[in-house]
Amino acid sequence: MNPNFDAIGKHFVHHYYSVFDEKSKRETAAEMYHPTEALLTFEGQQFQGVGAIKEKMKAIPLDNMARQFTTIDCQPTVDGGVLVTVIGQLKNCSENDKVMGFTQTFILKPSNSSFFIHHDIFRLALHDC
Amino acid sequence: MGEVSERVASPGAGGGNTSHADYDYLIKLLALGDSGVGKTSLLYQYTDNVFNGKFISTVGIDFREKRVVHKTPGVDGSGGRSHRVHLQLWDTAGQERFRSLTTAFFRDAMGFLLLFDLTNEDSFISTRDWLTQLQTHAYCENPDVVLCGNKTDLEDDRRVSEERAREMADKFGFPYFETSAATGQNVTRAVNCLLDLVMSRMEKCLDSTKLPGGANGSNHRLGKHHHHQNKTSSGGYGDAAGGDGCQC
Repeated sequence: MNPNFDAIGKHFVHHYYSVFDEKSKRETAAEMYHPTEALLTFEGQQFQGVGAIKEKMKAIPLDNMARQFTTIDCQPTVDGGVLVTVIGQLKNCSENDKVMGFTQTFILKPSNSSFFIHHDIFRLALHDC
Repeated sequence: MGEVSERVASPGAGGGNTSHADYDYLIKLLALGDSGVGKTSLLYQYTDNVFNGKFISTVGIDFREKRVVHKTPGVDGSGGRSHRVHLQLWDTAGQERFRSLTTAFFRDAMGFLLLFDLTNEDSFISTRDWLTQLQTHAYCENPDVVLCGNKTDLEDDRRVSEERAREMADKFGFPYFETSAATGQNVTRAVNCLLDLVMSRMEKCLDSTKLPGGANGSNHRLGKHHHHQNKTSSGGYGDAAGGDGCQC
């Protein structure tokens, strides 16, 4: 197991959102995913591989985003990867949008000297009452 | 068609007076449509350009309120009854960007304003998807809907013809309005049209369980909806609702 799991996970999170949250860069976030095996579940919709994930990134009608992290929890996995769960708040940068809670979970796996995202599950933290 | 006239809402409307509500009906309407079609602006325009929105973060919903007086025409077309209506207008506050509307958003809604942007073809095509969501989650399969093609002020950029939009509205049996949240064109007419539909359904609806919310509930704080209805054995949502107070 990778002893630097916590630093890797936290560094990844900050880097990932610095790309995703900027509208002009968002689609390049897809390049952090494993080319063929990566799975993204975005609000219940499933996407596999960089191509499909990139299309989704382009299609999400979000402008630049503001984001705040409440917690970033990391765990090493047996194959040298890192499991990361983020809880935080986001806001689309337009005047009428409101601050909403979200949760996102990633599994990163090592490949040569770096990591790919293999799994990503995103949800807004909204409730039914 | 009924008539709607505005009534000066007392400050703090909706709060305070919980033991004896000063309105006859609480009507909840939802605005639906892609992000950027102008839902929030339209509701803002309708509620007299006053930012009185209240955001409930757990469900991600924004709502505005307005008091109106709704007149139901009498049988001979004149001298109908007036009802004091407390309108709640629900807005998605950005969660629609993620294509995830919680079922809480649809709960107890009595009518729907389905919006698209006349200058954005995709938003017109999306109205089909929104309609499917709406039919899945609404209190019945054929709820009252008014279709609005918004942004008539940007006529030069129009991508959806009035004819096409009317064709779709006719197909589903919805009234259609071309609106401008910027200039106010048809905004009040569209909302009032929806209110008319909802009110006339209420009048016709002898079995109050078919409509969520039903008649006046004096306790209407969000998240504390009373799901039992104000059933009157006589069948009408009579004047009694406001008169001697609802027992909800």
